[in-house]
Amino acid sequence: MNLEDRIEIFGKILVNHRIKVILGSLLIIFTISFGMKFLETPSGYRGFVEEDFKYYKDVLDLEEKYGNIDVLTLVVKPEKGNIFQKDVLSLIHELTEISWQTPYSSRVSSITNHQYTTVDGDDISISDFIDDVDSLSTNEIANLYNAAVLEDAVVNFVMSESGKIGLVNINLEMPEDIAFQEPISFAWEQKNYFEDRYEDIFVGVAGTAQFSHNFQSTSESDASKMYPSFLLLIIILTYILLRSVVASIISLIVIMLSILPSLGAAGWLGFEVQPPLITAPIIILTISLTHAIHMLSIGLTNMTEGMTKNDAIIESLKINFIPIFLTSFTTAAGIAGINFGDIPAYSEMANTVVIGAGIGFILSVTMLPAMFSLLPINARKRKSYVLEVLKNLGELIYKFKERFVIVITAICIAVFSLLPNLHFDDYFSSYFDRVPEWLEVKNTVDPEFGSSFYIFSDMQSNEPDGITNPEYLKKLDEFESWLLTQPEVADVSTISDVIKTLNKNMNGGLDEYYAIPDNKALIAQYLLLYEFSVPYGMDLKNQMTADKSDSRILIRTNNSTSMESVAFNARVDEWVNENISPFSTNGVAGIPIMMPQLFVENTRGLVIGLLISFTFIIMVVGISLQSFRYGIISIVPNIIPFVLGFGLLTLATDMVTAAHQFAVLISIGLVVDATIHFLSKYKKALAINLPPREAIQYCFRFVGYPIIVASICLFSGFLFLTQSMFYYNFIIGGMCALIIMIALLIDLLLLPALLLIFGKKV
Amino acid sequence: MKFAKIIFIIFALFPFYLSAETAEEQGLRIAKASYENGRGFTDMVSDQLMILIDPKGNEVTREVSSKTLENLDPNDGDKSLTYFKTPKDVEGTVMLSHTHISDDDDQWLYLPALGRVKRISSSNKSGAFMGSEVAFEDFSGTDYRKYEWKFLGEEMENNETFYKLESYPNYENSGYSKRISLIDNLNRAYKVDFYDRKGELLKTLYLEDYVLYKDKIWMANTMKVENIQNKNITIFKWLNRELDVGINKKDFEKSSILRLAD
Repeated sequence: MNLEDRIEIFGKILVNHRIKVILGSLLIIFTISFGMKFLETPSGYRGFVEEDFKYYKDVLDLEEKYGNIDVLTLVVKPEKGNIFQKDVLSLIHELTEISWQTPYSSRVSSITNHQYTTVDGDDISISDFIDDVDSLSTNEIANLYNAAVLEDAVVNFVMSESGKIGLVNINLEMPEDIAFQEPISFAWEQKNYFEDRYEDIFVGVAGTAQFSHNFQSTSESDASKMYPSFLLLIIILTYILLRSVVASIISLIVIMLSILPSLGAAGWLGFEVQPPLITAPIIILTISLTHAIHMLSIGLTNMTEGMTKNDAIIESLKINFIPIFLTSFTTAAGIAGINFGDIPAYSEMANTVVIGAGIGFILSVTMLPAMFSLLPINARKRKSYVLEVLKNLGELIYKFKERFVIVITAICIAVFSLLPNLHFDDYFSSYFDRVPEWLEVKNTVDPEFGSSFYIFSDMQSNEPDGITNPEYLKKLDEFESWLLTQPEVADVSTISDVIKTLNKNMNGGLDEYYAIPDNKALIAQYLLLYEFSVPYGMDLKNQMTADKSDSRILIRTNNSTSMESVAFNARVDEWVNENISPFSTNGVAGIPIMMPQLFVENTRGLVIGLLISFTFIIMVVGISLQSFRYGIISIVPNIIPFVLGFGLLTLATDMVTAAHQFAVLISIGLVVDATIHFLSKYKKALAINLPPREAIQYCFRFVGYPIIVASICLFSGFLFLTQSMFYYNFIIGGMCALIIMIALLIDLLLLPALLLIFGKKV
Repeated sequence: MKFAKIIFIIFALFPFYLSAETAEEQGLRIAKASYENGRGFTDMVSDQLMILIDPKGNEVTREVSSKTLENLDPNDGDKSLTYFKTPKDVEGTVMLSHTHISDDDDQWLYLPALGRVKRISSSNKSGAFMGSEVAFEDFSGTDYRKYEWKFLGEEMENNETFYKLESYPNYENSGYSKRISLIDNLNRAYKVDFYDRKGELLKTLYLEDYVLYKDKIWMANTMKVENIQNKNITIFKWLNRELDVGINKKDFEKSSILRLAD
């Protein structure tokens, strides 16, 4: 008994037990879907890296010593002038006070509560830089800028050098597994309240806490904004393609039912709802839709040709079972390659889609035929202009096959020459450039401060109380000076700045004493004094260890690309190796180091994943067609779309981000589908002894329309993703849509010509 | 008979009318009694250990010794001298402080490496000092007059009944929004919970090893502070504590520090 007979028996069983099949499927589906309630809230940028990723561990080590690195920043910028105006200072003062109420806050620092030291002989007085704003005279306010700009701890940390922007930095000590929701909501309440009260002053929410929260908020807004309109698009698309209300309903039910258990399985597996996962349902839905359209359109066609409903769907099952299986398989194999990357959020997305592709396949060959058999369907005969066009196209290609190949090859070579313009790189800070509120704050902060991000270095003296050693402090100074020469660095703050300021204040406030004293005991005594006079939340615990053996360097970074950051990190390591002895440090750590390193590792993994997935897919194609020659021919139309797609990308950018790489893995298995359909039909045509010219017409007649329909579905689905607020989703959607469209053109124009020239009967 | 019954009831209830102080009055009464429990020492000398323990269990120990002079003027605070012994780099550093009930404290620090006495005036010393979990206000805060009090009821812990008091700082710049104290039936503070400015539990102070001096003064010779938020622990131990040893009052003047530092 051959495979087709088995499928026919399978189809008959389905139709005879249709109620049981439907109810059984529903039961299983809802059981799995129940897992959706276990889907986890995204843990922000931390969910983007593996727990044991080296550069994340560096961050965790640092946090264990000096506390959490996450900062929530409130940005204050008057429309005109600098912050030294009565109303702006009042706002900052009030905002600073209320910020202590921020959930999980541990420190609050701003220009107003900056600890300012004044010296009168041996009397040292320490107080808030600005306390009673109302009592300040215009003259005093004008002089404040000149005093502030001299303070190390102020410039570039709580005030921009120009004085145009003031920051209120709130350090957060978040317990594990708690999202930033509460502190962020609190900050936004303050923003709205103060912007209402002070019309001409901009208040924005920034910092790593907001950056991290964006992962959650874009997931939520994407899901709530994209899903409903996507559903509407699918309903319209399905009806246009099937022209049957009942058939449309069947396909909608089946595709919806393939999403729910996929997300359910994701929940059971403990996946997080990071922005990438939001794309999974849309991709699954699109893939399932193409299956449903294949099954239903052939079923409907069969009915118009006079078959009974049950025979029509069994026949469709016979024709479609293998291609649907193969295409699901190749799609899953391509996307599964994402697991070779290093971003858990994308692996989780990929695995959800793989599960969805599997469920989509099963439902298309079980529940869908059962429902088709159960529901009343009337098929109307329709005249197809598409088939007419395809027929003419087939003739045209037959006549000018060499010219088609030459012209397309010429285009490919021309576009191929553009590819060297591309290189792997990205800006991790651009993830949320499509979120208007974030972009506004970013565009406010970045020009004045470099960026919202910090990196840190843990400098170890290797002995208790070693940080008071003058040699240690001088080494810190040396490191700081070198760091400041680096383009990636905006500003640096170290404990040696604190000591220098103390030395100056202990010597009558004279500038010539702004230096590190040579006496270790003196430095230790300065620090002791300093530690006795700090207010709540201003102690040095986030800068040095309790045994005073190690201290933390704080570095504000400029916006850099991943490759620049990685190169910077390498330069730091080199400098450290050569110069840091007898002290030690593990170099620099922080988000602007971790994310770029992640990009590099991820790229390396994805390239391997792509090679493996692609080889695997080509092998599957070759085996399924049982032909080495066709396997080789199939490579051409599956590579050209990527060459052309990335060639066209050079018109927009020169950076191939991780998102572009993901797009390749997501679309490779989809692009292959059309080739499989086309090649298998061509082979079949030759097998029944049709001459090449007839064989091409045969292919166009039987698979031309479904290929076009499937491509349109996929194209629409991916194009839809470009509405996402998450920049990577936007790129993935755009790239996949572009590649799918090019692939369709290549499959219709180049593949037939290639087959006519190289495709012999096997 | 009815009349007699009413009279009886009124008399029966009378003691309750007498004791019907408000929760605030009751809280203040207990806090005052607890405070006075540790008064009358005249002067005091002791060695102290400060042990800092981080969440990983790493320990750092700092040693100081101190002299305290009780201020018998009820409207002013005590005076104290602190001698720093370790780490070696700060050996010989002396701090003199005059605490005040309502004004900012006066503080002088003698730095031997500089050879000078510096006067530090800071309106806000609510920060934890020397890398510990303890702030100055935690010490000066034992004076009941710096707080508003409220009696919350009685609470059982470790099979013992404690008075539970709530207190709010009535001075500016405090790092705390409130404290909850448990006081035992001998009016000794047993445990204090400190709540940060946003009203969340920040740290808990345990007072242990109470010793009765001069048959009337209870003093805790161990204080343990557990920071709930950053999981650090600080332990203070008083060793060789002696009361009423007759220290010269002049030692507590600014002009004496240089002499005493040697």
